[in-house]
Amino acid sequence: MIKALGYFIEIIRGIVITSRHFFVNFFFRILNVLGIKTKRKGAVTIQYPEQRKEIATRHRSLHRLMAREDGKPRCVACMLCATVCPSECIYVEAAEDPELEMQKYPSKFIIDIGRCCFCGFCVEACPEDAIRMDTGKIELAGYSRDDLVYDLDKLLK
Amino acid sequence: MVKIFIDEKSFEVEDGITVFKAAKEAGIAIPHLCYHDAFPPEGSCRMCLVEIEGLPKLELACSTQVRDGMKVFTKSERVVEARKGVLEFLLAEHPLDCPICDKAGDCKLQDYYETYGLFESQFREVKEKREKKAKIGKNLIHDEERCIICKRCVRFLKEVTHTQELGIFERGIHTSVNIYELLPVDNNYSGNLAQICPVGAITDTDFRFKTRSWLLKKGKSICPLCSRGCNISIEYHPGFPHFQVPKKVFRIYSLENPDVNGFWICDLGRYGYSYIDENRLDRIMIKKEEQKIEPTWEQSLQFIAEKIKGLNFLKKTSQIALVLNTWLSNEELFLIHKIFKSDLNVESIFFADRPQSEGDDILLTPERSPNRRGAQEMGLSIQPVKLETLATKTRLLLVFGSSIQDQFSSSDIKKVLDKIETKILFASHSNDLISFFDIVLPTALIAEKGGSLTNVEGRIQKFSPVFEPSGDSLPEWMMLADLGREFGINPSFYEQLKTPEAISIETEKEIPFFREKK
Ligand code: SF4
Ligand code: SF4
Ligand code: SF4
Ligand code: SF4
Ligand code: FES
Repeated sequence: MIKALGYFIEIIRGIVITSRHFFVNFFFRILNVLGIKTKRKGAVTIQYPEQRKEIATRHRSLHRLMAREDGKPRCVACMLCATVCPSECIYVEAAEDPELEMQKYPSKFIIDIGRCCFCGFCVEACPEDAIRMDTGKIELAGYSRDDLVYDLDKLLK
Repeated sequence: MVKIFIDEKSFEVEDGITVFKAAKEAGIAIPHLCYHDAFPPEGSCRMCLVEIEGLPKLELACSTQVRDGMKVFTKSERVVEARKGVLEFLLAEHPLDCPICDKAGDCKLQDYYETYGLFESQFREVKEKREKKAKIGKNLIHDEERCIICKRCVRFLKEVTHTQELGIFERGIHTSVNIYELLPVDNNYSGNLAQICPVGAITDTDFRFKTRSWLLKKGKSICPLCSRGCNISIEYHPGFPHFQVPKKVFRIYSLENPDVNGFWICDLGRYGYSYIDENRLDRIMIKKEEQKIEPTWEQSLQFIAEKIKGLNFLKKTSQIALVLNTWLSNEELFLIHKIFKSDLNVESIFFADRPQSEGDDILLTPERSPNRRGAQEMGLSIQPVKLETLATKTRLLLVFGSSIQDQFSSSDIKKVLDKIETKILFASHSNDLISFFDIVLPTALIAEKGGSLTNVEGRIQKFSPVFEPSGDSLPEWMMLADLGREFGINPSFYEQLKTPEAISIETEKEIPFFREKK
């Protein structure tokens, strides 16, 4: 009996907290809408996706591969990113460009974003600054798992 | 014996050896680049400097002999400082392109820089551009920028192969290693150069850019491509299951064994590894007419055992014929000997091996299989297959390996096989023969099973599996032990043969050669 009472008290407390937030926000929001400047903004939500928050410069978003001036990837297929990746989601296959002196380039470069944990280790490991996570793309959902596998072409874009 | 002190600990060492060797025996590693156990000291890299009490300058550990009462310091401040200095000069013209260097991960220069270097270079001059992709041999590429002129390669070609294709040209900062006028390094041991080059100056086209050395797993094994039995390390990548990339062998390195191959292996063994991954037979295959049995190990082996049992019951074991090969291990040959010769008195035992080819006077032998000597010592006479003999009276034919197709045309083989009631093939690779047999059982390779081999000199060498057998394949010894148990002349004997070691113990008991060589 006493236990059940405690239960109801907690529910009422919850309702009080939620309604307090609601009414305080409501109040300041109305003041803001009416053009009265207050320190507090009122409503904290934004109208995503029409409205977007600015992404911090250090934020780690979808990877991209950097290109050289001639459009070829800057990556030299050293496989350090694939070595360091804790999710084992990078796969690199190297090839040799017969024309340029000793150029090793990735003939395949695949990141399985579905497995990636966005730790950013790959970016730190890269000796060529060839991979970055600064595209600002954060909506990475796909209709199938294969949609989440990014290959060289997709990553270079 | 003399008494010396290394880093203030005393050691008893043999007189006349070098400080480097004494330290190595004492378990103290001294950094070195040009020194290699296979050659006399060269003293060109200066990496092995140590301090010796009473001597004003630092000395080269690789070429200084020990003296009684000598006090050597390998870690003193002066030594560490000197190593730094040596490294700084070695790296003055070094391109430091480790990210694309195939040696990275195995590179001594890289390792020593990690341990003793880690300095900012004081050289402000731009590094000189040199040839980075000189083709110096059929599968060797030389990068002059990375070369530290340790002369290991030159000495190898002078002292091991006696072919002397490489030489040192020019002097001072322009010194370089190169071939003489259009005569490339083209001998059967050239691959060793890529392995002994302490840096990434010589790389081979076979491994070049394919993967990184630290991603590879390594396993000790024995090269099965000739009867020398060189000790090798099979380096493979276990595969990326998430990307459907299977296991793959990337290179073979030689392992040191002074009694067998010294430090080297030939190019045939080094580069002939593609058979491990390519074209493998992964499943049991059963011909349509035999569809009553399912392609499982139990059913297929039982089927064979029943056939043997039947013929044995009718006292017609002379109608069984075997075609063996000398890729089978001692243990497998012993089981075959035991089952078919001792238990069943089968007379038609033939051998079909890869055709012999040229050997050389370094390591390569003419035989292209690893265990011919083992088969001989087992008491199996190595008679070549005669198709006519097979055709006349055989009702059950067991063929191990696919080398009969090296000796006869497919149509001839088919003609003979069509006359035989039941024929079974034990094969590791898929090929034309498969369709002629009633049951084809996939077998494991030397790299995938355990056992021992007897090399050309009669040395018995054990090997263990480096990786799992491909697909459903199993080692032949396992199937043979199963067969022995199934057809049941002496099931309890075969019952206990659960490992190659157990079989090897029985071999030693029964065959004097293996007992004595143990
Ligand atoms: S962010 Fe981390 S998990 Fe994702 S690819 Fe890079 S290293 Fe791998
Ligand atoms: S670490 Fe950089 S250069 Fe190396 S493979 Fe990855 S992206 Fe390419
Ligand atoms: S030889 Fe060694 S130090 Fe030089 S680039 Fe190759 S790995 Fe790096
Ligand atoms: S190529 Fe390699 S082994 Fe030959 S001298 Fe240069 S560094 Fe030494
Ligand atoms: S190892 Fe002694 S000088 Fe090179």
